[in-house]
This record gives sequence, C-alpha cells and structure tokens, in this order.
Amino acid sequence: MVDLSRRAALALLGLGLAGTAISWPRLTGGDIPGRGDDALTVALFGTAQDAAARQSLVDGFQKLHPDIPVRIIAIQGQDWGNFFAKILTMVAAGTPPDIVSVATEGSQLFAERLAHPIDEYVQRDAAELQEYFDDVNPSLIESFMYKGNLFQLPDNFNAANMYYNTSAFERAGLERPRDDWSVEDFFTVGRTMQASAPGSFLPYFWNNRLWGGVVPWLYINDTSFLTEEKAPGGDWMWSKFYPDETPRGGGYLWENADALSDRTVESFEVLQRMVSEGIAANPAQGGGNELVSLFSRGSVGMTPAGGFWVKGLNDAGLGDDEYDVTYFPKMRGQRHQFGAGGYAMMQTSERKDEAWEWMKYCISVEGMSIAHSQPDSSLPRRSLNAELYGGDIGPKHWEVFYDTLDRFPTTGPMPAPPQQAAVESALIKNVVGTITNGPNGVRRGLETMQRDLELALKGR
Amino acid sequence: MMALQSPTATRALVVPPEAETGRRKRAPRGSRLLVWVFLAPTLIGLGLFSFVPIIGSFVLAFFRWDIISAPEFVGVGNFVDLAANPTVRVSFLNTVGFVIVAVTLQLAVALLLAILVQSRMPEWLRTFFRSALFFPLVLSAASVSLVMSYLFNQEFGLVNEFLGLFGVGNIGWLTTGFGAKIVVLLVYVWQNFGFTFLLFIGGLAAIPREVYEASSLDGAYGWSQFRNVTLPLVSPTMLVASVMAIISALQIFDQPYVLTRGGPGDDTRTAVMVIYESAFQQLDFGLAAAIGIVLTLLIMLVTAAQFRLSKRFVFYG
Repeated sequence: MVDLSRRAALALLGLGLAGTAISWPRLTGGDIPGRGDDALTVALFGTAQDAAARQSLVDGFQKLHPDIPVRIIAIQGQDWGNFFAKILTMVAAGTPPDIVSVATEGSQLFAERLAHPIDEYVQRDAAELQEYFDDVNPSLIESFMYKGNLFQLPDNFNAANMYYNTSAFERAGLERPRDDWSVEDFFTVGRTMQASAPGSFLPYFWNNRLWGGVVPWLYINDTSFLTEEKAPGGDWMWSKFYPDETPRGGGYLWENADALSDRTVESFEVLQRMVSEGIAANPAQGGGNELVSLFSRGSVGMTPAGGFWVKGLNDAGLGDDEYDVTYFPKMRGQRHQFGAGGYAMMQTSERKDEAWEWMKYCISVEGMSIAHSQPDSSLPRRSLNAELYGGDIGPKHWEVFYDTLDRFPTTGPMPAPPQQAAVESALIKNVVGTITNGPNGVRRGLETMQRDLELALKGR
Repeated sequence: MMALQSPTATRALVVPPEAETGRRKRAPRGSRLLVWVFLAPTLIGLGLFSFVPIIGSFVLAFFRWDIISAPEFVGVGNFVDLAANPTVRVSFLNTVGFVIVAVTLQLAVALLLAILVQSRMPEWLRTFFRSALFFPLVLSAASVSLVMSYLFNQEFGLVNEFLGLFGVGNIGWLTTGFGAKIVVLLVYVWQNFGFTFLLFIGGLAAIPREVYEASSLDGAYGWSQFRNVTLPLVSPTMLVASVMAIISALQIFDQPYVLTRGGPGDDTRTAVMVIYESAFQQLDFGLAAAIGIVLTLLIMLVTAAQFRLSKRFVFYG
C-alpha cells in the first residue's frame, strides 16, 4: 500500500477544504440566479416557460415601481396539491417566497396557515380598488374570504360549463340546448348522439377530480359532499364595495362530511344511470390530458370545461364553430361550480407592502390583460372577457363563461377546506366504486365515502 | 454461483498471516491515513444522504409534523394511528398480495425466457432477445405507465379495440378493482423481469454442460432434467433474484400512481403510495415516517426469512 505522509495528508485535507470553499455557492444553491437578491419573490404554478411568459407582467409592474425588483419562481407540479407541497417545502427550508399564486384548492389552507390577510390594505386603498370590485362578481371575492378576512384578489377563474361538439350535435339532428335544460334533456341529448354516432363515441366524458368531476352534478341538485356554511364577518367588504348586495358573510366553511344526504345520493344515482347507460364513461382519473384530442377528433360529444379550454382547443386546431359552450343542466337548481386563482401574501414576507403593490398590479386592467393575453382562463373583470373571447378565438356563446356567475348568483367555489388534499383524495377514490356497482351500490359507496371524508376532515 | 475457491484459500486471502499467530502488526500510519482518505467521500456521502435521513425518519416517526408548525412529540401515537387506519391496512395487504403474485410471475417468466434464450439459436438472435427483453427496464416507469394507461383506456384504448375484434365487450381495465390490479401487475412485471432474466442468463450459463450430458446418459430429459438439474443448480441465482425482486416489489409506487392513483377505491393503493400521500398530500410527515419504518421492518423480515429458508431450498453444489 502507498504510504501517506502527514504532510501529504494535510495537503489533501487542505485541498478538500479549498474545494469545498470554492464550491460553497453551488453546494448551498447560492449561485442560482436571483437567489439572495433583495427582490420580491413571486412563486407561481408552472414551468420555466410560464415564468418567462410573465416577464412582460414584471416589465409592466416595474414601469410603475422601478424600485421593486421582482423574481418569478416557477414551480412545476402534477396538480395544485403537489404545488402546495413544494411551497411548504420552501417554507420548511427557510426560503419562503413573498407571494404565491394560489387557486381555490389551496386558498383555505393558505389562509389558515401561511397567508397574511389583506383587509387593511384593501381598506387603505379602497378608492383605488372600487373600480375593480365594480367590475368583479362578488361570488369570486367571497371565495377568497376565510373567517371574515380577505386573503386574495381573484385574477382568473374558470366555471365548470358544458362544452359540446357541434358536429356531433348536427349529426344527431340536435340543436343547442335551452339555457335551462334539464337533466332528462341531457339524457335525451346523450342517447340521441350515441344512436347517431359511428364507431367509438362517448356522449359525455368527464374526469374524476374536484373541479368538473361529480361536484357540478351535486351543485345543480343544491347539495354537495360536504356541509356548506358561511363564516361570520366580512361586513366591512360587502358594505363598502357591494352595498347593493345582500351581505355574504365571512367566507365558506366546509366542516363536515355530507355524502349521505338524500340529494347527494340522488345526484350519484343520476351519474350511475349515466354510466350504466353508456352515456358517460367511468370517469378518467387525473387531469384528462387525452380529452383535447378526443374532443377535437369528434370522439366525445360533451364535457365539462371552463374558459381555459378555448386556448387548448384552438391549439389543437379546432375551429370556433366546431364547438360551443352552454350551462350545466338544471336539476333542483342550476348552481354552478368554479375555481379561481389569485396571489396570496405570505405571513413570513418582509416585503408585504411591495407584495401588495404586485397584487394590485395583477388585478389592474393592464396587469390582467398582460397576464392573460390569450384565452387560457376567464377573467374576473367582466369587462375584459369580451376582448378575450369575443375576438378572434372563442366559441359562439362565450358569454356563458361570465354569465354563469351573473345569472346564477349562488354559483360557488369547489369545496376546498384547509384539509383539501385529504378531502379530495377521499372523494376521488370512492367515486368510481359508487357509480359502477349498480343502483344498489350507490349508497354503499357513499357510506365508505362518508367514512373517509370524516377521517379526512377530522385530521389527527 | 458456486464457491470458486476452497474455504481455506479464501481465508488465506482475507486473513493476514500475522493474525494466525495472534499478533497483529499495525499498518504504517501513512497507510492508515490513506485508507481513510479514500473512504472519506463514500462515508461522507453515505452518512449525509443515507444514515442521517434514516435516523431522521426514525426520530420523525415519533413526532407529528406538518412542515409549517413545530414538530410535536407523540410517542408511539403515529404507530397506533397507522394500525387503526383502514387505508394503511388495505395498502399493506395490497402490497403483500401484489408481491406474492408479481414476484412469482417475474421469476417464472424470467426463468422461462432465459432457458429459451439459452437454447440453440444463432448468436445474433440470442443477442437480440437479450437486449429486447432487457429493454423495458431502462424505460422510465412513469412514461411506460402513462402509455399503458392510454392502451388500457376503457373507451378508446387499443387493447379493448383489439379485443373487440373477437367480440369481447369493453373491459374496464382501470376502472374496476380486478382489472386495475391485473394491469398494474402486467405493467410492473413486463417492465421489471429484464433484470431477473439477465441474472438467470448468467446462472444458466454457469451450469457445466457435462452435468446435462451426464443426466442425459441417466435418462433425464425435458421436465425431469429441468427439475433435477437446472432448478437445483440455478437455485442460488433464484435466491438472489427473489430477494431483489421482493425488495423492489414491496416498494412499488410509480405504476399504480400513474395508472390508477391507487383506485378504484383503495384497490391498487400500495404502502409506498400511502407514505407519499401522508407526507406530501396530507402533510402528516410523522405518520409517513412511521409507515416507512413498518415497511422497512417488513422488508428486513421477509429478506431474513428468505435467507433462513434458503438453507433448505438452495443448492450450492
């Protein structure tokens, strides 16, 4: 064996230490561009390309605030739950962002644990914000209130509407359904399309998830799988910005499982009937990446989607006249479901004032127009949707996207309590079993769902 | 496969002569230092990235921690909770059931194919089969599962399209409990048997041809030769292959996560999926760590049992 003198050992040790010192910025991630800069850190759910696309938003913001440098961090994730887990990891690592893009799915989790309420800022800049609230349906604002405080200002939303393939309708000799069509009308449309379709065709395709899954079918029956109540408080918001509205309280509370109510059972029986008749498939798990392709090649007749899908269909080469959008059918009522997104200011941020300026810019006409220059989401500002969908790209009845809020005032966000991930998991895993085991299997499936939801809500 | 050297020879290689006399001459100080210098990178890497996380997980299992709040000591609370949690229970049962079927299939398919590939055929064809059968292993499990989810789609998948040619109706491969289990199993075995197959190729190649010739002279052919010659002589390889296959199968995650997300219901939920969901969806890192420890103990227990049983079933020549 080669002998190593003490001097050589010390030299090797010294080399090792020197190497470590030289590579320290790499080891600690300090050489990542922007890290450690004194900048407002904005985390959003998306890819590096999405972050790059936000550059024009940053540029616009910095024209107004040249003294506030902004750093966008794009965080990729499979779904919102995955995104939140990564944000939480950043918090645990001691490098939380200042402001985070949060969708309805995580809104209450953030409100309860991580976000800073913006009531004081809103009240301070009330005069400046009045035109924003005048342009925004209160249902969207309400969805970002939690226990009397406001945590976010919506800068995009998507209501679950019914997209339909006009070729499939024409082939079946069907006309656009009435706005107040019923569930039985829906069945008739499905059966007629099925009868006239060649080869593989599915009248209704849906995904098993919180948005656009079973929830719209529960909402139109004025029910849900969780109890829904309103927290007290919030008067400061309604009296100041929506004086003509009946005060809506301090935000939604979804605190108990309610999978066994008669109406919930009834809605699931409708879905069970739909699947057993072959009008709808067993719901696909996940995000439904294949749906654009199936819909655009005419293999699917109807599917739930929001304004975001216009861009997807356009990218897939579908012409504006090859599809259209309408409301969900009526059961007991015609309440719709939506999900919204907006920025939340982190409790831990030392740049709250700058974060507030960013939030305000993103909901301004200029900010919202820059952030959504393409029809990838409906806009909370009523006035901007005409330009977004009524121009070159968009279905004939694009007004449906916003009218869903205006015509159906009870339309509400998807049920997303702070335990959203566990609740969604408890819902999703029981849906298929509930609707595929025959009419008698519905109640049995919902009993299991009720048990799982109770466990999810109880926590430990 | 079998002992290459006699025990005495091996001992001669590993035991320095001075140890025989009871006196051990210390290596020069420089040599000892050099040993540590070479070992240091591995030891530091192992320490930082294996031992510290292992110890951390063990400690975490006794705390309730959601990343945001400070950890709260709960003693064995997490273990009590996991025992009472029906999803955890089902996921472990699923995992064990999956391991039994998947590993059996994996070993059987790999051995059968290895025997076929080792039979008489042109060398280029043998090389082709070896590469082709190993190929699925180098693919990403997530990508494979995604493609398979399209193939097994109930309404628009190619599998049902093909079966439809024979009058078979649409099968809910991924939406019925039985169908989903079959698909997860098939995808996993298809993707993983390649490594076991290579092990068997090596094991079979090491069996001396003379043994087969001698057994033929004794009248052993076909099944009898396989049972009395091939199987005993390949049994050490079988032990290694089964240990590795079981450890790997007990940790199955990618395939059910992408194909079914554990559904329908909990039908394809596995232990590692529950660890992931507890930690990263429900932010219950303590419970996740506790489940991880139980799974590790299960793996150790099964492996120990395999080695113990191997004394009865493995033939070392």
